[in-house]
Amino acid sequence: MSPIVLIFLVLYYAIVVGIGFWAVRKGGAKNMEGYLLGGRQVGPLVTALTLQSTSMSGYMFLGAGSAGYTTGYWAIWYAAGDIGGGVVNLSIIGRRMRKVSKIMGSLTSIEYLENRYPHAATRLIAGILSVFFLYFYVLAQFIAGGKGMALVTGLPYWAALTIAVVIIMIYTFLGGYFAVAYTDFFQSLVMVIGVVWILTAALSAVGGWTEANAKLAEIDPTYLSIWGKDLQYQGQWGEVAGAVLIFSVGYMGWPHVVTRHLAMTNPQTARMAGLYSTLWNLLFVTSPYIVGILAILILPELDDPEMAIFSVAGKLLPGAVTGIVMAAIMAAIMSTADSILLQVGTIASRDIFYRFIKPDASDKHMVWVSRILILVMGAIGFVIALLQPPGVFDIVVFTTSVLGSAFLPSYVCAVWWKKANTPGAIASMVGGALTAFFWESIGLASATATHPMLAGLVISFILIIVVSLATQKSSPVKEHIIKTMDEAAKLGPIPKGMIASMDTNLTSESKGVSDSLNGDK
Amino acid sequence: MLGLPSATAWVVIGFPVFWLVYTIIFLIVSRGWKKEAGDKEVEE
Repeated sequence: MSPIVLIFLVLYYAIVVGIGFWAVRKGGAKNMEGYLLGGRQVGPLVTALTLQSTSMSGYMFLGAGSAGYTTGYWAIWYAAGDIGGGVVNLSIIGRRMRKVSKIMGSLTSIEYLENRYPHAATRLIAGILSVFFLYFYVLAQFIAGGKGMALVTGLPYWAALTIAVVIIMIYTFLGGYFAVAYTDFFQSLVMVIGVVWILTAALSAVGGWTEANAKLAEIDPTYLSIWGKDLQYQGQWGEVAGAVLIFSVGYMGWPHVVTRHLAMTNPQTARMAGLYSTLWNLLFVTSPYIVGILAILILPELDDPEMAIFSVAGKLLPGAVTGIVMAAIMAAIMSTADSILLQVGTIASRDIFYRFIKPDASDKHMVWVSRILILVMGAIGFVIALLQPPGVFDIVVFTTSVLGSAFLPSYVCAVWWKKANTPGAIASMVGGALTAFFWESIGLASATATHPMLAGLVISFILIIVVSLATQKSSPVKEHIIKTMDEAAKLGPIPKGMIASMDTNLTSESKGVSDSLNGDK
Repeated sequence: MLGLPSATAWVVIGFPVFWLVYTIIFLIVSRGWKKEAGDKEVEE
């Protein structure tokens, strides 16, 4: 590996870790609300960029490049929805979810669901679904990190994977939402710089965009078609709708993404955060897909399409710039992995272990449960990534479809539909997840030409509506929830008497971080 | 445009424009949200 690339990577890691320590010391771990939500003091710019960088992940540098390389301009359907993903999320549920969570005292996105749809089963089902599928998502980040490190450093995949996983795990141990949000903010800037740089170099190498499209048409005119190479998706509007919906509305069903709403300084933070999200997406989102398409011309004999962007960077850019691009790629991977690992650790320890298994667990006990869970999950993920790494694009599209189908209707109806009740939400979560999970494997995706995301969403929405209406008498929505929703709909301050009393003791997780920083352990 | 078939060009250019317009409309419609800024979030 070039020494210049190494210097840039080391510098990048040093800055990220430095920001992490600064943020934790600044106040991220003072109490439960501080640790899990940054004390609800995250402003619009950081909210927008942590939401975007957490959503994007290593998928954008591996999966998106691969999709462009293998399907041509069909891949743009995914980007077309993705550009609006942030502003859709913030405009539809951001303000109200922030307000409802404040009134009800919800500190995690799963706890929020239980508060809105009161029943232990809500939390148990939502917790298990989240941990299981978010874990798959972390697995994709491990693979992305390992492959990227292998290509740039020349190390064998197993060694590169080990380094990538160890770095991600150490970084996650810093913990705390405030640390994650501010490191995400820095990483999002690095991501934009890296991707714009590589896009510029790729366009320059092929003689400009118009010239590149003419050359692609000479190889195979269907690369330019919006129906994909060899017109494989021609007329399949169900597939198109799924591709657009998955990253436009799908994020509203991601527990680790909607947590960003809970952490905003105030409800109106969502407003400017929406603007910043769109601006960042306009710069970032389409570029990796376009670089993947241009790689057809630059590297026509590429063995692994997921390496398209890494390989283009290695071929076209000088050492120093490759270092920045490599840092951008690692930024995309780490900014997602840290958020999800924090979320998975929190859900597994607080929403499942503490809530159902050992409610009297001591702080010290909880710290170790959380850490051991993260370590075990990391170790299993490492082994899977080492022995039989699945494609990053496939994992991301699969997990996004299942999570979006499971949770999106419940999160949206939680603030917009007063009749949405507990049985409806549980039926929607289970039915939506199962539909998206099995749609592809039992052959319904090809038989109906419908994307699993679209099928899962339709079933999930039907279930929450039908089951809620059918069970209004047996399971009416509680009065305090109706009042909370009325209050969330109003514009103005929350009456003081409505705010739930909150436990301000140190959480086990935050105490663990504080102890570690203070050298008490 | 850009050497692309018209349908592809519409998707490549049209969707970013659509989301920009959506964002501007959102900012206009949500002007009243300022009532919930800063220390105005909870009644004294």
